[in-house]
Amino acid sequence: MPLHNSASSSASGRPSIELITILVVCAIIFAVPTLLNNDYLLNKLARYLVLGILAMSLSLSWGYAGILNLGQAMSFGLGSYAMAMTLKLKTVPVHTGPQGLPDFMVWNNVTSLPWFWQPFESHLFAICAGMLVPAAVAAALGWFMFRGRVTGVYVAIITLAAMVVLNLVIIDQQQYTGGFNGITDLAQLEYFGIAFDAYSRATYYLVSFCLTGALLLAYAFTQTKAGLIIQAIRDHESRVRYFGYDVGAYQIAAFALSAAIAGLAGMLYTIVMEFASPTFLGVQLSLSVVVWCAVGGRQSLLGALLGAILVAGVQGALSESAAFVETWTLVMGALFVLIVLFLPKGLAGLAGSLWTLLQWRRVDGISPVRQFHQTEGGHERLSSAE
Amino acid sequence: MTFTRRRLLKNAAGLGVLAGAGFPHIWIKNADLASAAAGEIKVGVLFSLTGTTAIIEESLNKATIMAIEEINAAGGIKGMKVVPVVEDPASDPATFAEKARKLVVGDKCVSVFGSYTSASRKAVLPVFERQNNLYWYPTLYEGRECSKNVIYTGAVPNQQQDEFIPWLINKFGKKFYLIGSNYIYPKEENNYCKKLLQKHGGEVVAEEYVPLGHSEFSSVINKFRSTQPNVIFSTVVGDSVVALHRQYHAAGLDPAKMPMASLTTSENEIAAMGGEAAAGHFTSAPYFMVYESPENAKFVAAYKKRWGADKVTHFVSEACYFQVHLFKQAVEKLAVSDITPPHIRDAVKGQETLAPQGKVRIEPENLHTWLWPKIAQAQSNGQFKILVQAKNWLKPLPYAAYPGQVCTDKGLVVKS
Repeated sequence: MPLHNSASSSASGRPSIELITILVVCAIIFAVPTLLNNDYLLNKLARYLVLGILAMSLSLSWGYAGILNLGQAMSFGLGSYAMAMTLKLKTVPVHTGPQGLPDFMVWNNVTSLPWFWQPFESHLFAICAGMLVPAAVAAALGWFMFRGRVTGVYVAIITLAAMVVLNLVIIDQQQYTGGFNGITDLAQLEYFGIAFDAYSRATYYLVSFCLTGALLLAYAFTQTKAGLIIQAIRDHESRVRYFGYDVGAYQIAAFALSAAIAGLAGMLYTIVMEFASPTFLGVQLSLSVVVWCAVGGRQSLLGALLGAILVAGVQGALSESAAFVETWTLVMGALFVLIVLFLPKGLAGLAGSLWTLLQWRRVDGISPVRQFHQTEGGHERLSSAE
Repeated sequence: MTFTRRRLLKNAAGLGVLAGAGFPHIWIKNADLASAAAGEIKVGVLFSLTGTTAIIEESLNKATIMAIEEINAAGGIKGMKVVPVVEDPASDPATFAEKARKLVVGDKCVSVFGSYTSASRKAVLPVFERQNNLYWYPTLYEGRECSKNVIYTGAVPNQQQDEFIPWLINKFGKKFYLIGSNYIYPKEENNYCKKLLQKHGGEVVAEEYVPLGHSEFSSVINKFRSTQPNVIFSTVVGDSVVALHRQYHAAGLDPAKMPMASLTTSENEIAAMGGEAAAGHFTSAPYFMVYESPENAKFVAAYKKRWGADKVTHFVSEACYFQVHLFKQAVEKLAVSDITPPHIRDAVKGQETLAPQGKVRIEPENLHTWLWPKIAQAQSNGQFKILVQAKNWLKPLPYAAYPGQVCTDKGLVVKS
């Protein structure tokens, strides 16, 4: 592997191992409903899995392409609203006005369905829009940033600001968006003759299916030539540009793909939560995604995904345990500090270290402690020593 | 790759900390499920203890817990203890929905007391409607909701405004400046206010909405000066209430000539802004801490004893308190095997209790509450002085602004 960064060698140097791990994790996720006969816990787990997809999408742009997108929740929220809009139009018109106009439009004295709501009568349109709109917005934003060679902290600021602007627009344009309350009172998604009730196995399997698909897609992308160039850009942008690659185009592509996956996660979130809210594209959620990635390991798709599930799970468990109901935010904060201090590459980094340790043991049976002393420089030196 | 033994040890220690923190929890079947046994009645308490609305919601949590403790101290309900399951939804709608699911589906609570904001109520509504459970919502709100799964014990627009608007016109004049936070609650209140103004010969000189959490009111105050309204009708909420009052005070405007008339300023907001900034302005609500009744004297004394002498009660915490007692009365009417959310809902229809504000009653038709409107003026000591008390309790009309639409026990009915 020509890339000199140590983490990428652990991520892409053993593709088969990583792929096997991904498949095993997905198989476990699919097997959970057979072990867990509890709709409430399945629903809860489905929610965590959706957050996992979101974290995985950020890992693609942050960990692989080196683009720290603090506004990842913008794509998530766009997807969420696309799904909520189409489901809202299918609601039994209890609170609605003439022609099934959504209730919040009636409250704001809107008399006819706005033009940009009309295509959402079609679920298919909404599902496509839920991924393509975030991707297009990201591509436009990316074109502006990467063509202008904006890098580092400025990318983080621009993405965060773009999300905040969209959030404010949604809250302000309440006659079209439901404003602060979001879009609530939704119908269930029905597709292929299946009703995706938030508490049903069908929804859990839908989420698992999308998760597997998105994970494999993202993994495949990292294994292509484009994926390698993206990682090279992360490690040394000007060197890659010197080789004649169109750096901006690759960055835009990675950024848009990441946004499309986040949009998919947003759509699933609406199905699982049964509403869309401006907090889905809020600063708090968006920064949480960064934390999940950091905990799980941002340079590992699977690590980020599991990091999100783990943190959201621990957070839920802590805040629900009587002992921590007052102090859970403090405990979470302390955990994050510990992880950043002691596990800078997240849990995936830890797993990588353990794996390397096991491999040495297998190679020649020499005590790993001695191996450590011999190979202080890493395993490239180990192989050259052989 | 550079790593050392020490790094590995540190890594392992980090993982140990995480594992110890309870990760397996989500994989294990919820142990609480089995304990929904006889001898206790589980209810959920869902107010934010962290996040942006934590300050006000904590007081709602306290009032609810106190009412439950009172009931248990007096022998519970039919000899059964009421067990509150307290969750912290962290001022976040998605967390509200998650915790509501936990309480309803996981813990099998027969009712949940919760929410301050409309956004959080909207977020949990699908959970209660789909599971046919019961949500008790204590806050004043904009009306226009007709759910069989929510008991509304706060005021709706007709209960805060019907008496207030004519009184203001009479006392100060007909020019009204409407200022609110930019979301559905202020807009609906103002819709209703405009109807009343039309009826009583008032007029709107300006209608303005500021973003939620807005704290810079100098341009608004300049417009107060230039339009010279007789009354500033305020439905600004949260921290903006504090900012608006302080800046009005600092700008040297005179409450005697151009008072603010609010539906949202309670003792709680005044405690945050200081009595000086609040003094002279008016609020319409069903309850004020200074209201004189034996029930209120008892409520205030018990609240201070339980939570601290510096604590205040206000119109939302009072609703939290009496709605738990209404819950108790409803459950008392039922056989033990019938204690389910739909039965409690049916039993609470028409229930009356002597609340601190006076005798209240759940309207069977729409599950809102008959309340006692009051108009009061804020004083510099942080308390109100009650100027007008309704002679009769007032029926809740959640669809008052929409003639032809009525909320009935069969849902919303549109008369054409």
